[in-house]
Amino acid sequence: MAESEKPRDKVKEIGRREFLVGSGAVIAAGALAAGIPGTTEAAASSITYPKSEGYIVYDSRLCLGCQSCMFACALTHEGVANPSLSRIQIIRDAPSFTKYPYDVVMSVCRQCVSPLCVQVCPTGACHVDEANGNIRRIDQKKCIGCKKCIQACPQDPHKTIWNPVIKKSAKCDLCEGAPYWNEKGGPKGKQACVETCPVKALKLVTEAPSQTDINGYDLNLAPPPPKAKPQGFVLPKQATDKAAEKGGN
Amino acid sequence: MANGYAGKILKVNLTKKEISVIDTAKYAEFGGGVGMGAAIFWDIAVVPGDWDMQDAFDPRNVISLMTGPLAATGVPGAGRTSVCAIASETYPTPLFHRTSFGGRFATMLKLAGWDGVVVHGKAAAPVWINIINDKVVIEDGSKLWGLDTYEAQDQITSAVSGRTRFGQQWQEIGNEYTTLMPQIVCIGPVGESMTKVAALIHGSGVSARTGGFGGVFGSKNLKAISVIGTGGVQVADPAGLVDTRLWHTRNFPKITLAQPGASACMTCLNNDRRRNSYYGGEAMCADEYWYMGKQEPGSFSSRDPEALMRGASIAIKWGICSWATKFGGAITLPVPDAPKAYKGMVPMEPGIGWYIKYLYEIGELGPGKKIDSYPLPMDQWDTLKFRETFCDAIARRIGIGADLANGYLEAAEKWGRLEEDMNNGTIRLPAWGASWHHTLPGVDWAYSYIMMSGDPVWHGFFGLTGGGGFGGPATYTAEELVNMMAKKVIPFDNDPIIFSNTWKGDEAFKTGIYSPYKAKMFAWARRFAGFYNESMSFCEMLLPVFMGSGPGNLAGPSPELEYRYYKAVTGSKESFADTMETGRKIWNMERAIRVMAGRHRDQEKFAPFMHMPGATFPISGPKPVYLNGKWSFESHNDLYLDREGVEQFKTNFYKLEGWDTKTGWPTKKTLEKLGMKNVADLMKSKGKLGA
Repeated sequence: MAESEKPRDKVKEIGRREFLVGSGAVIAAGALAAGIPGTTEAAASSITYPKSEGYIVYDSRLCLGCQSCMFACALTHEGVANPSLSRIQIIRDAPSFTKYPYDVVMSVCRQCVSPLCVQVCPTGACHVDEANGNIRRIDQKKCIGCKKCIQACPQDPHKTIWNPVIKKSAKCDLCEGAPYWNEKGGPKGKQACVETCPVKALKLVTEAPSQTDINGYDLNLAPPPPKAKPQGFVLPKQATDKAAEKGGN
Repeated sequence: MANGYAGKILKVNLTKKEISVIDTAKYAEFGGGVGMGAAIFWDIAVVPGDWDMQDAFDPRNVISLMTGPLAATGVPGAGRTSVCAIASETYPTPLFHRTSFGGRFATMLKLAGWDGVVVHGKAAAPVWINIINDKVVIEDGSKLWGLDTYEAQDQITSAVSGRTRFGQQWQEIGNEYTTLMPQIVCIGPVGESMTKVAALIHGSGVSARTGGFGGVFGSKNLKAISVIGTGGVQVADPAGLVDTRLWHTRNFPKITLAQPGASACMTCLNNDRRRNSYYGGEAMCADEYWYMGKQEPGSFSSRDPEALMRGASIAIKWGICSWATKFGGAITLPVPDAPKAYKGMVPMEPGIGWYIKYLYEIGELGPGKKIDSYPLPMDQWDTLKFRETFCDAIARRIGIGADLANGYLEAAEKWGRLEEDMNNGTIRLPAWGASWHHTLPGVDWAYSYIMMSGDPVWHGFFGLTGGGGFGGPATYTAEELVNMMAKKVIPFDNDPIIFSNTWKGDEAFKTGIYSPYKAKMFAWARRFAGFYNESMSFCEMLLPVFMGSGPGNLAGPSPELEYRYYKAVTGSKESFADTMETGRKIWNMERAIRVMAGRHRDQEKFAPFMHMPGATFPISGPKPVYLNGKWSFESHNDLYLDREGVEQFKTNFYKLEGWDTKTGWPTKKTLEKLGMKNVADLMKSKGKLGA
C-alpha cells in the first residue's frame, strides 16, 4: 500500500451541484437555490398535494448528538446499524471544536407540503401515500435509482438518501411499515427516532410547521427548567457533617 | 463474522511499514475489547519469548485499540475504545495495563469495517495512520509532530475530509456516502517526548488518561490514528435490539440514560458528553477537575466551571494524564486521622500537581531550593498560567519538568523523599504508582489495585450503601439491599454475605472484607467488568446500575440489561453465567501476561498508608455489614486495612480462582479448563505455572 498517497486526492466532497452535473439531470433553476423554502414553494407551486398528517420537529439545542435516532432508523428500516442509511442525520462537528449550539446539525426530512422529491420522480416511486396519512415516501420496488429525488431535495444536506448497495433512494416514512419496527408507525403511530431519543429532542406533530422559515422545524422542545439545584456530583452531606464534627484531623 | 463484529482487526507494524489483517474470529472466544486485546498481546508480544516486557517504550510493545461487538449498533454507552499494552506509568516497573476512552472512535472504526487496531514496532520518523474504510495508509506525520492535540486533529480532519462543509454536505468515499467526520485519537507534546504521564486524546475532551499510553504512541513515532467509515454493522436481531432499547428507555430512563436538559458529565449515551462545554461539543469529564485552583471543601460544582474547563483544555491540548498529574481532585474533604501533610483537608486525588505544592510549602522545593522548581512559577500555583508552564516543562523536560516527566514516584525517589513520604502517607498512591480514586472504603476497588496494575475504574459496587455518597438517604434496610444484590451475582448468587463489609475483629476474616465471601464478590466484579465493561465496552459510568430509582424499586436493570443487549446484537445462545465465564477467561489471560512479565504474590501489596488510619476518603455512604447474625449499615469512613487480613484475602482469592496460593500464578488445571492449554504450556516452559 502506498505510504504517501494523500487521502484528499481520493476523497472528494459531493455537493448538490456535482450530483446534478454527474447525472445530467435537468432541474428548474429555481430549485437549485437550495435551502430557500420560498424557492421551493415557487418551484412546486403549480402542483398541490394533500398535506402529510405527520411531521417530525426537533430541537437542535436540546439534542445531545448521540445519534441514537440514526441507528434506530437504520436498524428498523434496513436491519443493519448503518448511519449512512439512516433517513435522519445528526451531524456533529469533529473533533467537536465548534461551540454549542453550532456543533450539531439535525438533518430531518420535512415531509414538505410541496414535496419536490415527489414532483420530480419519473416513476411514481416517490409518492404521497394517501392510505397512510399522506406521508411522502418511496416505494423502492418502483425506484429506478435515477437520484432525481436526491437532487431535487431543497435541503442541505439532502434528506432523501442513497443506498449504494441496492442503488435506490430512500427517505423518511415516519416508520410506516418499517420492516424491523415492532410498533405501529406512520402519522398515527410511533417513530423509532422519536421513541429512542433520550432527551426528547424529536417530536411528531400533526400540523405542518412553517414552510417559509428555514428553521421552522427547529423548535424549543425543552422541558420546563428544574427547580434550582446544584449540578454535577453533590457532596455527601452526611460524610461532610460527620467529618466536620470530628474537627478534620 | 457479522452479529456485531466487523470481522477483521487491523495490524500495523511500524518498523516494517507492514499493514495486515487479523481475522477477528480467531479471537472470538475472548469477546472483544480488552479480552481480544490481551489475547493478541499474548500472541504477538509474549509468545515469541524475546522480550521481557520491562520497557513500555520498547518497539516490541504491542498497543491495541479494540472495540466490542456492541459498538456502532446504537446500544447506549457501548462505544468505548479499550486500550491495552505494557504501560509506562506504573511503578516500580512497567506493567500490562488496560484503559479505555469514550467518544466516537470505536463507533467509526466499526463503520470502517474494523474491530480494532493493533500497532507494534516503531516508525523511523513521525507518522499517522489514516484509515478510510478498507484503505489504510501510514502517512508522513512530520508536520504534525509538535502540534497540540487540537491542532493535530484539525489538520488531519482537513486532510481526510477536504473541503466538505460540516453539516451541509454528504461526503463521497468510494461509492458510499456519509455526513460524519473522521474520528481521531492522537497525542500531544507530552506524549511525543515519551514521558510517563502522557494520555491518548480523542476529540476536544476525551482521553485515555491512565497508563501513560500517550508515551507509548510517542515511542513508536505515532502521532495519531484517524478513521472514517461509511459502512454498517450487521446485528443478529435488529427488531429485538430496538425493542431492548425501548424497554431500557421506558423502564429505566432516569438512572441509565441522559435526561432532557442534562448537563452533568454522566449524560453519556453512545459515549457522548454534554454539549455546552467550554470548548466545543464534548465536556472533559474527569479532566475538568485536573485544574483545581482552590483547596477548599466542596464539590466541583462549587468552583468556577469555566476555569475548570479551560484548565481541562490545557491538559487535553498538551496530552497529559490528568489523573496522575492532578493538582487536587474532584472533591476536597476533611479526613479523620489524615496524614499531617494534608492539614486535615484531603483532596480526593492528590497527584503530582498537589505534591509539588506540598513540597513548596514545607520549603523543600522552590527557586534555588534543594529541589529547584525552575521553570515553574510556584507563587502562581493556583493559576492557569502555571498549568501551561507545568505541561510545557514536562513536555520539553525543562528543569524540574525532566523529573516529573519520569513519573510521580520516580521523581520522589530521585529527590530522596520516596520512602519517607510513602511511609507517612503523604503520597496517596494505593499500589503500583496508580492514583487514588474511590479506592476505599469499597474494598473490591482497593483489591483491584494490587491484583491488576492500579486503578480498575469500575464503579459497579460503589453505590451499594445506605444512602449518602452520591445518593440520598436510604429507603431500604441493609438486609433488603444485600438480598436484592444476591440474586444478581450469578454464579455466586444467593449468598448475601459476600456483600458484608465487616472490617474489625475475627468477623472480618470469617465473613467480612478478608473472608472467602469477599473473594467471591471481588471475583464477580472482575469477571463482570472484564466481560461487559472492558470487552463489550459498556461505559462503566453508565452501566452497570444495580440499584433502582427509589422506594419500592430497589433493584436496578443490571445485569439483565447488558445481557439483553449482548444477546440482541450477537445472537449468542450463551447464558449469563457463560458470559461471566468468558469474563473469567479474560481475567486469566490478563493474569497470564502479568505473570510472564514477572508478577508474583509477594508484589501484590498496598502502599503503607492503606494500612494506617486516614486511609479512606469519606465520600461513600455507610456499608452493609453482617455481625452477630444481623445486617446493618455502618460508616466506614475510618476504615484502613490489616496487613495480615490482606494476605488472608489474597490466599482466599487465589484459591477461588484456581491459582497457586504461594505464587498467585494460574495452574495448569485452571487454564486448561478455560480452554487455554497453549497459555499453560508456554507458562510451564518458562517455569511460571502455578503448582
